[in-house]
Amino acid sequence: MKHLVYYISEQMNPWKNLAVEEAFLHWVPQDTVVLYLWQNRRTVVIGRNQNCWAECNVSRLEHDGGYLARRLSGGGSVYHDEQNLNFTFLANHSDYDISGQTDVITRAVRMFGLEPEKTGRNDITISDRKFSGNAYYKKDGKCFHHGTLLIHTDMDAMKRYLNVSGEKLRGKGVPSVKARVLNLQDICKEITVKTMKQALLLAASEVYEATPQKIGLEIFEREYLADLEEKNSSWEWRYGRKIPFSWEREKRFEWGNIQMRLYVDQGIIRQAVIYSDALDAEFISKVELSMAGLRFEEQKLENVINLETSEEQKKMLADIDSMIMEGA
Amino acid sequence: MSKYEVRALPLYTKEHTWMKATGAGIVRIGITDYAQKMLKTVNYADLPSEGDEVVYMESCAELESSKAVSPVYCPVSGRVVNVNEEVMDEPELINKAPYDAGWLMDIEPSAFEEEKGKLFTAEEYNTFLTTL
Repeated sequence: MKHLVYYISEQMNPWKNLAVEEAFLHWVPQDTVVLYLWQNRRTVVIGRNQNCWAECNVSRLEHDGGYLARRLSGGGSVYHDEQNLNFTFLANHSDYDISGQTDVITRAVRMFGLEPEKTGRNDITISDRKFSGNAYYKKDGKCFHHGTLLIHTDMDAMKRYLNVSGEKLRGKGVPSVKARVLNLQDICKEITVKTMKQALLLAASEVYEATPQKIGLEIFEREYLADLEEKNSSWEWRYGRKIPFSWEREKRFEWGNIQMRLYVDQGIIRQAVIYSDALDAEFISKVELSMAGLRFEEQKLENVINLETSEEQKKMLADIDSMIMEGA
Repeated sequence: MSKYEVRALPLYTKEHTWMKATGAGIVRIGITDYAQKMLKTVNYADLPSEGDEVVYMESCAELESSKAVSPVYCPVSGRVVNVNEEVMDEPELINKAPYDAGWLMDIEPSAFEEEKGKLFTAEEYNTFLTTL
């Protein structure tokens, strides 16, 4: 390899960080490998073809001020915080070598006296516990290989956002594979985000036999990065992908029992079917009809029901809203 | 003989997609046995919608496998008239039967005669595979 360049992100917004990753992908010239290191604040990153509601407790994450992000590469969902370090290798197809890139990661971890192993499932483990998940993407002859490194991530928060339960959700989309996870700092105190960054740069210089050259974001047009960031934060990209599913839930309120099924595609409720023993059956069927066309988990029923509502009916609407949003 | 199945009838691209006429001015497309073996297990097929326009040798679909997300390069230009819903529900059909149940979509071609000539015959594709 003639050139090894690196960039270490200075901020923790996932939409910005993923924009920089995509910009490097388009930029990377021949005979060059880019090593990009980045961290995100309270973020769930889902795979390209995943249903966010099947993989992540979205309402809870957003309630807590976290970010939901979708990446270009496939695979399962991961939780990021300040104590998780992400790496991305970017290169043209002819300079791209997954085993060499993985070697950089395992070599860096070995510098701390540990013995990591690569598994068949794109994971890197120690004693069968995963500390790094890897995914790959290529477009127009350019490729990237990125992954996580759990240093000292809040595992309770990880479970809080990635464990989805209590509702029946059926549909297409790539499911995540659960794994036993490991924070590297728990088995080696010397490992911090800072020391791991240094180890990765050193390991990369050994593997590529080149001195890493620092590069800055000034190589990109500001507007170009802003456009990519806007795409990453957009409702359409994060929620509105063509991944149809049906969602089902049953709940008892003081005014009656509700059994509801929603058919959702591109993030939008296409049809709602509600069974209820509520006395106000006419109102329920109006609710059913007005739900079609609303964004899933964003519906504020009171604002869309086009008729005079009594206090009792307002209460019903708020209850039905909360039934869908539950989890937050 | 090659370790990859190449069938006599379809025409092929160097991007490992196939196309065959199914009658009434419609062609069916899919990926080859070589392509499915390279991808390994397909987890998700992101197919276009009926009515979408597709362009010769541009991406008309994406397949997510355990290795990567990969574009499917379309052997013909035209309009999508039918997509294989079954591979959306069961993407592994693409691995099990890339030339049969694992087909991807039917297309009404718009420049068939011109584009047909640029594709490989089975024999040419077989030869091409030996160079990889």
